[in-house]
Amino acid sequence: MPTSANNLPTTFEPLKQQLLAAAKAFSTDAQPLGEILSGIVDDVQRACGEPLEIFPVCHHSPSSAVQMVQRLRSRPPRVIYMECCEDMREVLDGLRECRLPVALQAFATSSTAFPSAWAPLSLVCPLTEFSAEFQAIAFALETPETELVFVDRSADHVFQWMPQETDALEERTPDDPSDEDDAAMHGSAIGIEIGSLVPTIQEFHEFLQKNARVQHFSEWWDQYVEEAIIDGSLATYRQVMFLIGSLFRRLGTDQRNREEDELRERFMWTRMKQHLRDSKIDPRDAIYICGAAHSASHVEEFGVKSAAMWDIPPRTETQWLYGILPSSYRSIEHQFAHPHGAVTLAEARWRKNLRRQKLKAFALEKSEAKKATKKAAEKTASKGKTPKSANNGDAETPEVAQTSHAADEHPLLNYLQKPPEVMQEDESELVRNCVKIVDLARRNGYLSTTADSIAVYQTAILLANLRNRRHPTPYDFRDAAVTCIEKEAVPRKRDVARLCDILLGGDKTGQIGYKSLPPLAQNVYDRLSVLPIKLEARTIQRALLDFRKQPDYLPCSKLLWQLRYLLANDVVRPIMGQCQLGHVPQQESWDVAIGKYQGAVIQLGYEGITVEHVLERRLKKAAFGSDARTVDALSATEDSILLLGSERLTEELGERAVELLVNEPDVKDARAIYSGISRLIHYYRTTEAGLPPWCKSFVTTGYSHYATLLPNAFADRGTNPEDLTAMLQFIFTLESLALSLGCERSQLVIAIKQSADGTTDFAKQSLLWSAECVIQLRDPASLRDRFDELLDNELTLPAIPDYLGGFLLALSFTPLVSSLTVELMSKAFERLPDRILMPWLPKLITMLRPHAATVLPTLVKEAAAIFPNSLLALETWEPPWHAQASISEPAESSQELDAEQQATNRLLFQFPSTTNALATCLGQSVEWKSPGKTKASTAQQSKSAAVDVDEVMDLLSRYPATINAFGNCLSGSEPAD
Amino acid sequence: MAKKKAATKTSSTSKPSAKKPSSDAILREPAEVKYADELAYLESIDDSPRPFTWRLSPRMIRVFVLGSSAADKIDRPITTKFFGNPNTVERAIVTLASDRGLLLIGDPGTGKSWLAELLAAAICGDSTHVVQGTAGTTEDHIKYSWNVAMVIASGQSQESLIPSPIMTSMQLGQMGRFEELTRCSSDVQDALISILSEKYLTIPELKSDNVVFAQPGFNIIATANARDRGVNDLSTALKRRFNFVQIPVVTNKKSEQEIVLFRTKELLARNKFEVDVPPAMLEILLQTFADLRETSAAATGDDDRLESSLSTAEQIGVIEDAMLHGQFFGGGSLAPESLARSLVGTLVRRIPEDVSILNKFWHAVVDKRAKKSDKDWKEFEAAGKDALENIK
Repeated sequence: MPTSANNLPTTFEPLKQQLLAAAKAFSTDAQPLGEILSGIVDDVQRACGEPLEIFPVCHHSPSSAVQMVQRLRSRPPRVIYMECCEDMREVLDGLRECRLPVALQAFATSSTAFPSAWAPLSLVCPLTEFSAEFQAIAFALETPETELVFVDRSADHVFQWMPQETDALEERTPDDPSDEDDAAMHGSAIGIEIGSLVPTIQEFHEFLQKNARVQHFSEWWDQYVEEAIIDGSLATYRQVMFLIGSLFRRLGTDQRNREEDELRERFMWTRMKQHLRDSKIDPRDAIYICGAAHSASHVEEFGVKSAAMWDIPPRTETQWLYGILPSSYRSIEHQFAHPHGAVTLAEARWRKNLRRQKLKAFALEKSEAKKATKKAAEKTASKGKTPKSANNGDAETPEVAQTSHAADEHPLLNYLQKPPEVMQEDESELVRNCVKIVDLARRNGYLSTTADSIAVYQTAILLANLRNRRHPTPYDFRDAAVTCIEKEAVPRKRDVARLCDILLGGDKTGQIGYKSLPPLAQNVYDRLSVLPIKLEARTIQRALLDFRKQPDYLPCSKLLWQLRYLLANDVVRPIMGQCQLGHVPQQESWDVAIGKYQGAVIQLGYEGITVEHVLERRLKKAAFGSDARTVDALSATEDSILLLGSERLTEELGERAVELLVNEPDVKDARAIYSGISRLIHYYRTTEAGLPPWCKSFVTTGYSHYATLLPNAFADRGTNPEDLTAMLQFIFTLESLALSLGCERSQLVIAIKQSADGTTDFAKQSLLWSAECVIQLRDPASLRDRFDELLDNELTLPAIPDYLGGFLLALSFTPLVSSLTVELMSKAFERLPDRILMPWLPKLITMLRPHAATVLPTLVKEAAAIFPNSLLALETWEPPWHAQASISEPAESSQELDAEQQATNRLLFQFPSTTNALATCLGQSVEWKSPGKTKASTAQQSKSAAVDVDEVMDLLSRYPATINAFGNCLSGSEPAD
Repeated sequence: MAKKKAATKTSSTSKPSAKKPSSDAILREPAEVKYADELAYLESIDDSPRPFTWRLSPRMIRVFVLGSSAADKIDRPITTKFFGNPNTVERAIVTLASDRGLLLIGDPGTGKSWLAELLAAAICGDSTHVVQGTAGTTEDHIKYSWNVAMVIASGQSQESLIPSPIMTSMQLGQMGRFEELTRCSSDVQDALISILSEKYLTIPELKSDNVVFAQPGFNIIATANARDRGVNDLSTALKRRFNFVQIPVVTNKKSEQEIVLFRTKELLARNKFEVDVPPAMLEILLQTFADLRETSAAATGDDDRLESSLSTAEQIGVIEDAMLHGQFFGGGSLAPESLARSLVGTLVRRIPEDVSILNKFWHAVVDKRAKKSDKDWKEFEAAGKDALENIK
């Protein structure tokens, strides 16, 4: 120990006196200020005097890490207690295989003990390489003689001690990052930070920042603490940290956080004292790593001398799973609301100091490497290099401690009085960075030149001077670069602040090694290893699978489709290829980003042992959930065939679909249900076993269910014609199957008859008529007259499009009305006025678009049969419905007129002047209708009429004089030949 | 030669304060007159190094602009004059001490010109060397022009030369200000290039004594409106000679409240009023503006947005207008009705677009707040509807 209890008064007394004098001088009411200041000194004194060495740390502080390395190297302890969830200790061995930063994770899919809205519960504790805690972990894992114990409350307690309200969790999780992928690697987990040391009272926080002229707390920390202690002795480091910890505890922590901190301190001290007692280790051989603020704790349990022990509350029944998740600097900053680049800057400082102090950081060896060096390690151990206990006397450390103590008699006082030394290295680094940033900016599209380097340097120096700093900090440098280079920012593309971060090291992303992965993820890696891609790569890998050449890729394809179903969109993405019932793939192409989104695969590992296991659970959850609908169960059934191929599961899900269908009160999913079941039926018909029982049951249930719902669906204005069509489609398309399975058509007939008077919707009316045509309750031809009437009546014209819409929909289940539909459409186009036709056309197109596969072929086929197939034919073509009408008309007239009357008719037509004169006398106008023309128009249809016309033409061409004279008579001019 | 000329010029105009009328007689005092006491005090205690011929050191300028805090160890309290990010101010000060000009960019009403004035006042004690950029600004306004009558009578000479404010500031080694730089056409802007890089101005019409060298301490503070971006964009050469400092719209309610109170008080003092803004009214105003900004951010097209930038300056305008109305035509205090009328009157610029946007906003948002809140909000809401009805 650097300071012993005996010399404490002399060490801290001058400081205390000075502070009290200052309190007296500057404060009008010196009593409370004096109390606070002397209380702080007392806290420092007490923490220094604690037999169990407290090693105060701050989150992501390079000084903490540097001091930790020095401390552990100089005198390895027998046990290290650390402020971290006690139940997370078990996953630490997995760290060997990982590239930091990573996060230790505790995960529970669900829990009855906490509000249900919280599920799934996830807690992360990120670790970076340059943190004191990781250095201690690496040391402990590499030194078998040193035990590492996590003493803080368990993950379960973290959630237990939160207010048990639905939105309490949301308050403690950060918002989704706006645009950066790397910032979202922890998902919606709650974060815990070892040695977290940020004031929680806003006023205090702001006061610190304002007085120090900094923008963020981490900037304050860098300037006022980090710089000063990174080179100091251990004693200085500890005392300064105790001081800051006590200051923050007393002035900067709000009531809620203080209470939680106290619970944790009681927990930690109880656990430590229990461990010391059980293992019979001298407290002086142990070291306790905790956030600096915890050293100023005033709980009863504090200190090994205190006999008080806390009755630790039990955990809940929640089943916790533990693992390691990849993390990134951005994610850490986002999780704990640190400013951009803070972690990167800390790492840069750590590396610089390692170099400067010629220190070697602790690192974890990989498992294989460890085995190789195990023997050597054993040898060293056998030579007796066990951790030396303090009371045995350490030959080296006390010396170091004493020398530093001698050189630095009042470390805390010196810290408070003197600014840190300026390092020569910093100056050259600044110049280097000024040059580099300009280069980087130029490569990112800025028009920056050497002149900018000079300006950045000059501005950085001026800024530092303005902000009372002896040398520009990286924050000053960043501000200077933004001032001089940034003319306009383009989000995500051009951003000088971001470039500065990149310059100082940039973001780093962790990776979890194979051995530390959960079984599911390992299984995924194993099974995909046959693919010719790098699964670990952080970039997106394109895999081309040609199954004809490489049939062993087929299982990979299946796994990829399974992952596609289970994971978010970007993890695996098919570029070419499909997963459909009955489809045998030949080639597929995939974008695989498992390396980039490793966390997603690991999270999946908490849900089950294999992908199939998780998939089965997810499918069951989709089908058996309390709010599941038939369509969910049916698509889960289809997915189970596609992705799992387990008959048992498929049957179970199928039966669930039947069960849900029976109880479904509405028909809003009818379209999806029909398309789903018809796909399944088509598929099963191609298999050897044919339709499974559940499928048959689904068809019969559906037939009867939809028949029952028909009258209501026709009458209910909430049911739209598309859903009704899908019901009718189900009924009529699957009718033969349903009837063969024992259904009765009479049920349908009754239902349709019941529906007859219910509907007021024109489209539904058309659907009803179509359905009646199918079950032969109505003849399609009988509808023609009705529509002619509608078309003749100006007032009923607007309803035509709606009726037609219904018929078009009906084409999807019956071709019986197709000729009627074509006829009505042609009539509509012919006769509807523009004001109705024009607005309807776009609607018609959008209505037909979703039915392109079912309705259009029928429609086109029917139209092709009716319309002529060449342009020439079109000239003389007449629609069949016109023909029918004109055939019937002459028949009627021929019944009325006998041969003599017809001759009279012809005579009158040839010599109209008499009739005209007579009509004029009578005050009437005359409209002449050529009997010849009528015949000519019906020539194509009526053979007799055709002969008649031919004769006339023949006669006229042989004796043109007659027709010429006739022409003269009528118009006074000669007709053309 | 040139130095001599500069020296003569300096002697003729070296006492800018002397030519100024006493503060009682002017409507709006420039910052250096208004805060003369503070500046004198800061100058007296300033022992830090000063760049060039600056009146104050950068640290003291910071204190002058941002106000003093305990850490500054100053006996006399210095009021905060610019309520923005301290970082912005620091970057601006430092830029002026460097070789480059300062270009303040921001939305209308964010305090660019105010900051420029404060900086000029603190650095050289004269913030009046201002060129206002408009579409009609010519190179003459930036460099120099001639007294035509004198030129006809006696030809071009030093006597017939009329220096521009920028040229004057060069001769005096002071801060020249250029307001709304991007409103000038690009070729006019480019006249600044040689001033900023060579730091001298030649007068080719004169045969001798034809170079005006800038004295140490000269620099340019320009402002540009972010909404005008792209109208007359700065040439790359000019961009290079300026450091750009963005002034964001204040969205922090607390700072905004401080700004509104500070400025309103100042503006009303011109009318010899010393009325306090009732906190309830201020809250209504700030909340309404915050809601309006939110609505505006959520709008999809320009037609759904008010033309106003909804800046703090607009709020000050509204409250000043309402206070004056209350003072002259009301009961002497600020009533919710007059606040609502002023707000509607200030924000409606396009009829009928802005009226319909405000109408929708009033019925969707203000209505809701009025239902939940006390009498003031209700009166505010009713008066706003009334004002909207009567707009023609």
